Formats: sequence, structure tokens, C-alpha cells
Amino acid sequence: MEEERGKVRALIDMATNSTEREVDPRLLKAIKSVVRYSDPELRLAAQTLMDLMKRDHSQVRYLTLLIIDELFMRSKLFRTLVIENLDQLLSLSVGFRRNLPLPAPPAIATILRSKAIEFLEKWNASFGVHYRQIRLGFDYLKNTLRFQFPNLQANAARIQQERREREIKTKEILRNKFEILGQNLSTIKQEIQSTIDEIGECLDIIRAKEENMVLAPLDDDDFEEFRSSELRQIRLDSLKEGEKVHENNDNTVVFDALRELYKLLMTKHMGSVQESISVLIRVEVPDNRLRDSMLKELIDIRNRLLSVKKKCEESGCALATNVKEEEEEDFWEEGKIGPTEKGSSSTPIKPKQKLQNLAVASTSGEIKNEQSDNNELCKTDSNSPRSKLLSEAPVVEWGSFLGNWGLDRDFMANQRGLELDNHWGRVDYDAVIPAEKIAELNLQATFYKEEPVEIQPCRAPLRKGGLCQRRDLKVCPFHGPIIPRDDEGNPINQKNPSSDENPIQKNSLIDDETSLDLGSDLSEHLSEQLAKQAIQNVRDREKEEGKKRKIDKQSLNRAKLAKVREHNEAVLRNAALVSTSRSEAVGEDIEVTNGKKSSTRNKKKTLTSMLRNKVTTKDRLAQRLLNTRARGATTRQLTMGEEDTYRENFPNQW
Amino acid sequence: MWKQIGGREAGQIRPNSFSNRVKSNRVSSLQLSNYKDIVSPHRGSINSLQVDLTEGRYLLSGASDASVAVYDVQRATDYEGGGLIAKHKSIVVVDKQHEQGHKYAVSSAIWYPIDTGLFITGSYDHYVKVWDTNSTQVVMNFKMPGKVYRTAMSSLATSHMLIAAGTEDVQVRLCDIASGAFSHTLSGHRDGIMTVEWSTSSEWVLVTGGCDGAIRFWDIRRAGCFRVLDQSQSQLGRRPPLLERSALNKVSTSKSLSVGQNLSAKSRPQQRKSTNGNGVKQSPIGRIPAKASVRQRLHPGMLSGQDRATAHYGAVTGLKVTDDGMYLLSAGSDSRIRLWDVQSGCNTLVNFETVRLQTSKAIQIATGQDPALVFVPCMTAVKAFDVWSGKTRMAFRGHYEYVNCCWFSSQDQELYTGGSDRKILVWSPSRLISDESDGESMKDQDNWSD
Repeated sequence: MEEERGKVRALIDMATNSTEREVDPRLLKAIKSVVRYSDPELRLAAQTLMDLMKRDHSQVRYLTLLIIDELFMRSKLFRTLVIENLDQLLSLSVGFRRNLPLPAPPAIATILRSKAIEFLEKWNASFGVHYRQIRLGFDYLKNTLRFQFPNLQANAARIQQERREREIKTKEILRNKFEILGQNLSTIKQEIQSTIDEIGECLDIIRAKEENMVLAPLDDDDFEEFRSSELRQIRLDSLKEGEKVHENNDNTVVFDALRELYKLLMTKHMGSVQESISVLIRVEVPDNRLRDSMLKELIDIRNRLLSVKKKCEESGCALATNVKEEEEEDFWEEGKIGPTEKGSSSTPIKPKQKLQNLAVASTSGEIKNEQSDNNELCKTDSNSPRSKLLSEAPVVEWGSFLGNWGLDRDFMANQRGLELDNHWGRVDYDAVIPAEKIAELNLQATFYKEEPVEIQPCRAPLRKGGLCQRRDLKVCPFHGPIIPRDDEGNPINQKNPSSDENPIQKNSLIDDETSLDLGSDLSEHLSEQLAKQAIQNVRDREKEEGKKRKIDKQSLNRAKLAKVREHNEAVLRNAALVSTSRSEAVGEDIEVTNGKKSSTRNKKKTLTSMLRNKVTTKDRLAQRLLNTRARGATTRQLTMGEEDTYRENFPNQW
Repeated sequence: MWKQIGGREAGQIRPNSFSNRVKSNRVSSLQLSNYKDIVSPHRGSINSLQVDLTEGRYLLSGASDASVAVYDVQRATDYEGGGLIAKHKSIVVVDKQHEQGHKYAVSSAIWYPIDTGLFITGSYDHYVKVWDTNSTQVVMNFKMPGKVYRTAMSSLATSHMLIAAGTEDVQVRLCDIASGAFSHTLSGHRDGIMTVEWSTSSEWVLVTGGCDGAIRFWDIRRAGCFRVLDQSQSQLGRRPPLLERSALNKVSTSKSLSVGQNLSAKSRPQQRKSTNGNGVKQSPIGRIPAKASVRQRLHPGMLSGQDRATAHYGAVTGLKVTDDGMYLLSAGSDSRIRLWDVQSGCNTLVNFETVRLQTSKAIQIATGQDPALVFVPCMTAVKAFDVWSGKTRMAFRGHYEYVNCCWFSSQDQELYTGGSDRKILVWSPSRLISDESDGESMKDQDNWSD
């Protein structure tokens, strides 16, 4: 029994001693299986869990809470046990009491709180009826402390409800539609029938006319002429084609009617039939026979419609094809404009281009086929006449005046292309606005616009990787003055950091960079710069040496003082320590642990390590302050030998 | 249970003791009632709770948001959770919206002891109001000189209708409902009066506890207070020794009798200390002749030594006389509960295992008769102590903030507690087994998946 007793406690301890976000499922299972078959174990578990909840560590509390939830949802006895101290549990997990805030790792503390609230809601939903305490706690947190509950269940229920309502509504609508359809089916059928009949009549008329007009004898001749099947096929097609489009003044009316009917058929009847079919498919009616019969009928009608449609299209009256043709025409026109423009613009400038090409060729030292060169240029567009013109062309704001750009003629003032009755008396249709006036009116005011300057990013390397993307004019607040840097963020002109102070030098440097390919300039610049650099270096070194000497002197002084102080302290400490024999060990002890700590720093994450924040400077200082004693102990031993010499040198000290 | 019923059937157990046994059984199983919810309409902490004394049916509550409400604790207004939870909604609410309502917190709300047609409220807005329950109108209005901390009416009174009101002021005022005026102004306390309580054995005796730590006994037929409890005056055990007691009984019952003649030498010091004071100066033994004169001289404005005695360090925050009127329980801001023998005026030195009591507010203590229990609000919990031993019998945890008041209904063996979390909780004996089996739905069961 005793071992058993230890078991659940050990299991829980093990399960909660982890840095994971979840309880180890195997351990959880083990806990559950142990607890399930024995009530004393369960009691012990409840006790242990409540004890663990009091731990000063949010992670432990969090894991404990997860286990509590697991058991809570399962065991009634556990519920009754936990419920007794629910307020305590809540204050430990939610931390609503001001004097009992949640313990250390704050990130986990927030998770713990939200989880606890979520659990409370869940518990309230499932067991609230049976436990007043849960209701009370829930009510208190919700209505008095105004905690925001996730409201999971209510939300889910609401969504479910909404969906159900929507479904019911759609069903209702479908049923209504079905009823209406049942009433209207006959009329729809009639209408469709009548349209189909009309279409048939129209087609008959057209066909009759065509037959009258068709050149029947031609056919026979042709058949004889074209033997090969392919040719015959082509011939047939063309004949059909010829049969089709025989729209002329006589049958325009018929064709129009046919088109209208076709349109009607396609848009109205086809749509309605499709819709009613879909309604019939989706609707749920107690009596299926009626529905099926209707469905059959509708499908028949649809098939008929489709066949009629096909016929119409064959007869070539279809509206859709007409529309397509128009579109094609549009395309064609557009296409036509393009080349003409190109041709007109490119032809006159050609000689010039050639000249330029030659020039380019000579400079680059390459001889190329003129043709290919020309092509290339056209492709790249770098020197094409169009781009050339574009570069010369003024940039103007868009306006209606662009419509008659470059037209140098008078305007008819009262002719706008619209015949309007003028109510204000006679209109002089010949009134003219002179061209100068127009030009004057179209005179554009131009505004000065500042050129947008592209501000270079700082591009200093960041600690977390990447480059600083801040764009400042001169100085980045984080990385100092903005200097050209390479891809890794290292400053390019690192050799001369002082250039920042010296604008001239900087300029020269930049010049230097930009004109790297210019040999003569480069050498000149370089020598100049080297000279400057040399002078600078010499001066710097001198300065530095002076400084160093000074610092050395100071540090020497300071070291001496420090030594004196240290020595004095050591003596004092010695005196103090000697007086208590026990405290002598303390220093060494701390030292040992300290050493260990440094070695375990890179070890696995532990609960305590979670508590410890990142080591800040403050911590380090504190550490050091705490360790002065330890260090003192070691230094004391080390300096034991030196003490004698000091004593001789500085007799005024201990 | 069945054995007891059998015993009762056979006449082995007397009816009284039978009922007492059942009651004490029930009381020992008090727990937070799951099936009885009182829906509090209050938006402030509950300061006062009382079930009416006539029917034991209507619960009156007063809260810090200046509201007073009445609930029917016998009959629920509606049910929830499949009839499992009975909701008791308030049947009468008086709040700030009421034109005659109080402006500030209601510190005390009590029933008129012999009828539920009236109730009395005292508030921080300096008013004591008497209400007609049925019409919820103010019948009478008493303006007090300061915040009213507690009001009380005697449950025994047949010859007077006085409301004792403890206020910020040092004087206790008795408001007469019959005339609508103050009939008495009792002065003696040196600080505000936190709590007042009428004796349950004599309709004339009033007990008051003040912020000065004194508990004073007043006989309203006479001027001045006739006793100040002193925590240093103590006796061990429940009763004073037998001899003294018999003597004392005679003395106390026949106060007008000349005292000296009946007194034995032994009883005298006790009596002198308790009733007459002045014992500090006098040697306890051998002052028989001075007795009568001393008594007469001392009573109206007892001498300073006695008069300055304190019952608690700090304020007295709660008082409760036991139902038989023999003992007085007091709670102080020093987190102590003391049991006083009313007759001797001695601290009985019972050590109640309180942890901490609320210090800033008056608390309402309740007592239960069989077994003798005292229910004390201890911060967020209510604890039930054995009156004689001071041992904690039960602890009722359910409130999330401080509990201010509790009321034990001995008729139903139910405990009502009200706290700063605006809730009124009902603690009732666990139901009988038969109820449980059908009431408990199938849902609340073990549910092991693996």
C-alpha cells in the first residue's frame, strides 16, 4: 500500500516536472489508470495536486491544472474533493486575488490564467448544475471581476443554431418554389412550346426562301468536279456556309424574329428550366412520384430546347455568333492601327539610326551585321526612335486638350456634333474660335515639383541577421552615419573611418569609387589620398601614443590603489572570518557551486531555468556582488605569499 | 435515524430530545446547498441578513448599494437545470430608485419581531426607516446624528416597541415606533456604536458594543448603564461556582432586594466585581457594610475604573446573545471572539480558534441551539465553533470576498450568509437519500474513457 501511495505522487511529480506545454501523455495515462481503481489514491492525488498548485512556479501550476482538468472531467470523487477548495484553486490558477498574483514566468502565467478560465467555463457547462461552487466561481469571475470567458460552447451552439436555421429557411424556400413550379409548370410548358413552334415556323420560312433561291444545279456540277473526299468535304462546308448566311433585305424581318426568339429561348426558358430542375433535385417532398414525373418532363423539355437551339445555330441565325463577329472586327481594326503607326514613325528616322549604330559600334570596337544590330536595338528599345522621341517629349498632365494636340486650326464654336434646340434665341452656327485663342486657352500652368530623392537604407548588419532597412538622410539613430556598405553590411571604406569628419575627403573617396575605370584619374586620386592617409596615420599614432602613456600612468596608479584597497579588505576579512570558524567554509562553498553553474549553463532547460530570466547586466552585477566573498577567498590564498613584500613596501598599511 | 424513530415510537426517546437529535444531525451535515439559490438583486456587499421570527420564511437582506430585498426561502420562484435548482428571487426590492429609499449603504435590515408586515432599515445616510412590507412605503423615519451601524428590536418585548440604533455617535438612541420619537438617549460609550443587541431573557436589557472596545449593558428603565464587560474579569468554565451562582441568581433576579442580607462572604467579591465594579480599589473580602451604599452610589454613573473597562482591544464588531439569554458572544477587531457569562459578566476564557476577523465592518454573528454552535464570518469563510470549547466544527467556504453577515434559521437548520461578493448563499443539510437518487441526473458520474 505504501508503495502504491508513493506511486501516484511520484507520477504526478514526474508529470509536472517538465518544461513542455503538455503533460506527457503516457504519464497522464499512468496517473489515470492508477487513480481509477483506488479511491485512496484519488484522494492522495487530489491532495498532491492541490499542494502542487501552491508551488511558486507557473509552469508547475499549469501542468498541475492540466492534470486536474483531466481527472475532474472523469471522476466524481475527484470533483467533490476539488470543489471543496475551488476558490483556492481558482485564486491559484487565475490569480484574481491581488495579494496572490501568479508566480514567475509571466508568459506561462498568462497561459495558465487563460487555460484556467477556459476550464472553469467547461466545468461550469458540464457540471455546473451539480455543483453550486462551480456556478459561484464562474459567476464571480464573470460578473464581478468581469473576466473575459472564451465562451466556446455558447459560440459553437450559436453557430450550430444559425446553420440549422439557414437550412430550414432554404428548405422552406425550396418547398415554396416547388409548389409554385407545380402550379406554373403547364404555363411554362405552353410558353416554351409556343416559342419553339414559332422558331420552327421561322426556320421553315427561311428554308423555303433559300430553297427557292438556292442554286440547285450548281451542286451537281461541283460534285463531279471535286473527287477527292477532302476537297468534297471542304466544298460541302462552304456550301453549307453559303446556305447559312443568306440574310438579305427580304428575310431580315424573319431573321430578326428568329434571333429574338432564340434569345428568349436561351435566356428565359433555358434558365427557368434549368432552375426548376435544380429545385426539383434539391427539394425534399414527402411525395416523390410527382416530383419525379415533373423532373422527367422538365428534362424532356430541356432536351427539346437544346435540339431547337442546335437547329437555330445551324441555320446561322444565332445571336451569339453575330456578337462574336463584331468583336473580331474590333480586334482587327486595332491590329491594323498598330503596324501603320509603327511604319510611319520608323521610316523617316532610319538613316539617323544607322549613323548612331555605326557610332556605337566604333566605340565598342565591334563590327556587327547592321541588320542584326538594328533588330537588337529594336528589341532592347534603348535607342529606338520611339524612346528617343519619348525622351524629348514634354510631359504634360492629361486633359481634354490633348485631343487636338498640334492641330492648328480654328474651332467651330457652336457645332458639337449634337443637334440641340437652343432656347436662348438664334444660334450662329458659323461662329469660330480662332486658333490663337485656343492655344491661349490651352496654355498649361506648370508647377514645380520636387524630385523625389531616393534615400538609401542604412544597411548596417543587425544582430538578429539581415540588414538595417531604416532610411535616414544622413544618420541612422541606431547605427550612426549612413555610409556605403557591401552586401554583408560591412562599410566599404573601412580603411578611412575619419572620412566622415572630412567632407572633402569623403567626396574624393566617392569620386574615387565611381571613377574606378578611369585610369589616369584613379592614379592621381590614389596618390593624393595615400599621402593624406600617411599623414593622418602618423598623427594618429602620435596622438594615440600620448594617450596611451597617459592611460598607462593612470592605470598604474589605479592598480596600485586597488591593490592597497584589496589588501586592506583582505586583512579585515581575514580578521572577521577567523573569529568564526564556521563561516570560513562559506566562501569555498559558493565558489564550488558557482563553478558548477557555469558548466551547467548549457545544459537542458529546467524549471528553475525557466524562472531565471535572461542574464541581464543587473543580474551579472548582483552575481558579482554576491561572489565577492568567494573571490575574496581565492585571492586571499593566492596573495598570501605576496603579502610579505607589501608589508615591507607599504609600512603604513596592515 | 431509524433506530431513533423506533425509540421514539416505543416512547424511549422524548419528543424534545428526538427532535434535537435530528436537528443536530442535520446541522452537522450543513453544506453549500446546490438546490437552493437565492438570486441576489444587490449590486453591493450584503451587510445584513435576517429571517423573520414569526414564520421563518422570509429572508430580509440589506446591502451596500442602498437596497433592501425580501425573499421567500420556502417557496422558489422558478427552477433551473431540469428542476434541480430552485431559484429564490426577491419578492420585494427597495433600492435607490425607490423615492423613499436610502441614499447610502444599508447597514442593517431587521424584521419587526412579531410580524412580517414591517421591517426596519438603518443606513449610512443617517436615517432609520420603518417600512411597510406590503406597500413598500416608509411608515416612519428617524433622523440619526450619524451613520447608522446597527439597529435592533427586542424579540420579547411586550410593553415597548423600541428600535435600538447604534450610530457613529457615542450615544445609543432608542426610537419609539409608537410615538415616532427618540424615547431614550443612552450615553456612556466613548466612540461610535458598532453593534446593539437586545437581551433574549429580559425585554428591558440592551447590550451595546462600541468602537471603544466596551460592551455595555443597559436597563432601559433606569438611567445609565449597569454593566461594562471587562476582558480581564474572567471565570473558567461555563458557570460560576455553584454557591456563588445561587447567590448571584437571587441577586440578579431581585435587584431591588437589599443585597447584603443574602450574601455569603464568598459570593460577594464576584458580585461586586461584576455588577458594582469598584472592586479594583476594594479588597474582595470583608466589606459587608459598605455594600448597599456603594451599590446605590455606583450604579448610575459607575466609577471610572469600572467604566473604562474594555471587552476587546479595538472595536467590538459583533454581538450575539444566545437563545437562552445566559451568554453573550462578542467579536472584536482584535480578531477575538469572547463568550461572556451574562449573569456574572465574566469572560469565560473560551478560546475560539479564529484566524482573522474582518476589522473594518460590523459583522453579524449567528448562533445555533442544538448543538451549541456559533457561526462567525471569518474573512471569506464562515466558521462554526463549538460555543463551549471554541473548537472549529465546520468551515463554510463559498464566498469569494469577505463575508459580512450570517443568519442561522433554527427552524429549517439552514444557514444564510451574505458577503461582499454580492451573493447570498444558502447552506443546508444534505438531502435525504431518496431525493438524491432521482434528483441527481445521470450526468454527474464517473466518466473514465481509458
